[in-house]
Amino acid sequence: MHIADGVLPLSVAAGCGAVSLALAAWSVRSTDGDDLPKVAVVTASFFVSSLIHVPLGPTSVHLLIPGLVGILLGRSAFLSILLGLLLQSLLFSFGGLTALGANALMMGVPALLSGLLFNRLRGTSHKQNMLIGALAGGSGTLLAATILAFLLASGGEDFFGVMKLAVLAHIPVFVIEALVSAFTVSFLYRVKPELLEQRLGVVCQG
Amino acid sequence: MLDGQIVQLPASILFAALAVLFLCWFFACRALRRLLSTAQPVAEERDWSVPTIDADFTGDSLFHRWDVRFKLVALLGFAILVVATRSPWSALLACGFSLAAIATAKLPFLRSLRRLMAISGFVSMFLLLMPLTLATRPDDTLLMFSDIDWLRFNLRGLGLALSIAGKACAVTLLMEPLLATSSLPRTVEGLVKLGVPEKVAQMILLSHRYIFVFLEETKRMATGMQVRGFQWRSNVTTLQVAGNFLGMLFVRSFERTHRVYAAMQARGYQGRFPAPFYFKVTTGDWLHAAFWLVTGVALLCFDRFGGF
Repeated sequence: MHIADGVLPLSVAAGCGAVSLALAAWSVRSTDGDDLPKVAVVTASFFVSSLIHVPLGPTSVHLLIPGLVGILLGRSAFLSILLGLLLQSLLFSFGGLTALGANALMMGVPALLSGLLFNRLRGTSHKQNMLIGALAGGSGTLLAATILAFLLASGGEDFFGVMKLAVLAHIPVFVIEALVSAFTVSFLYRVKPELLEQRLGVVCQG
Repeated sequence: MLDGQIVQLPASILFAALAVLFLCWFFACRALRRLLSTAQPVAEERDWSVPTIDADFTGDSLFHRWDVRFKLVALLGFAILVVATRSPWSALLACGFSLAAIATAKLPFLRSLRRLMAISGFVSMFLLLMPLTLATRPDDTLLMFSDIDWLRFNLRGLGLALSIAGKACAVTLLMEPLLATSSLPRTVEGLVKLGVPEKVAQMILLSHRYIFVFLEETKRMATGMQVRGFQWRSNVTTLQVAGNFLGMLFVRSFERTHRVYAAMQARGYQGRFPAPFYFKVTTGDWLHAAFWLVTGVALLCFDRFGGF
């Protein structure tokens, strides 16, 4: 869920913007020049995947994949998420321009942590990788929903009702994200495992 | 005038209001869909189309002639000032300014309408929920319905939600004059001149380029799946297919992008496109920027001290 303009108090929006800026600067510094194509690919795929709607009963939800972005990019994930959200805001107005910092924190921090989780716990077998992929994907979305709840709650108790519904609406999304992440990791593990290495040097020579 | 009161209304009013709301929403959605689909041929499956950012940058208007650096700073500053306001009336006023900007820039309103549709879901969630879920304060006016005890419609919540909706609309309407009146590379060059690192600017341009390439790829893959009889359903198989779909998208896109990047490097790409952009600042640029910032500050003063 993208936060629109005018929802957050100005101080919260500005604070999130400052933290996002710092994280983005760190993320840019840890992105190697040769990694640019990979980061651009994942950014564009992050954007495109948000147009893929998975039916859910009478309605449908679109994929978020903060976990997958983290798994694929590691430290560069924050930059990728920030740019993906910027493009979504510029092209569609999904997510407000003044709330970009908050939206980037909401998706980018889970991406970084999912990436870390996957990198630490990844195993050597197919099943193990799939399981960790599911864990990273699901927890990424869970964390994103938690941050969303905190951001909305920062508006005061008037926002608690909206916050509860927003978090409830995310529950089926956790399951979908976890499964899709697991299947994507499984696919990549079988087809092009070097993409799951967060260092690009390996891939470039491939 | 009704401060702190509880107004009792018959339950039929509630049902009538809900019915009217639902009908309005239904017909508005249908009318908008029809309006938007006349611009392009009707898609048989689903709409993958992505609007372009800089659709009308060849036009000529006050906004097109405005130096992009001043435009970015002034309109973003205005947006932040708008977001800082509190009452629905100042949000409405801000919407008026944004609409005036679209008219001055001679941009089609249809594209702005599309942007409003994008935020409509999030905003209507606030409009529907806030009046019903707001914590009651002693000076709130509540509407209650005779037979239903648990439903309290809080007018302060409605005001709050309207203010949020108004601010969101005002900033969203400002997006088209901000972005569509100069080409994207020029806007990005303006960002670089304002201090955004070159690496980030290149990433914006590359990712923006790839979005359209990948969408083509996605469409092709979706057609292939459809031809083979795949249907999107709510089950694990669909999710597995979606996972493989994403994985395939990553693999193909990465291979293609890597080839393109190698070709770019072979042609002497060293981290930036040679951009033939020249910026010349005129007094008009300063005046135009000053107008928007002063308007924003005036709006904020009106909001805080205007007596609302």
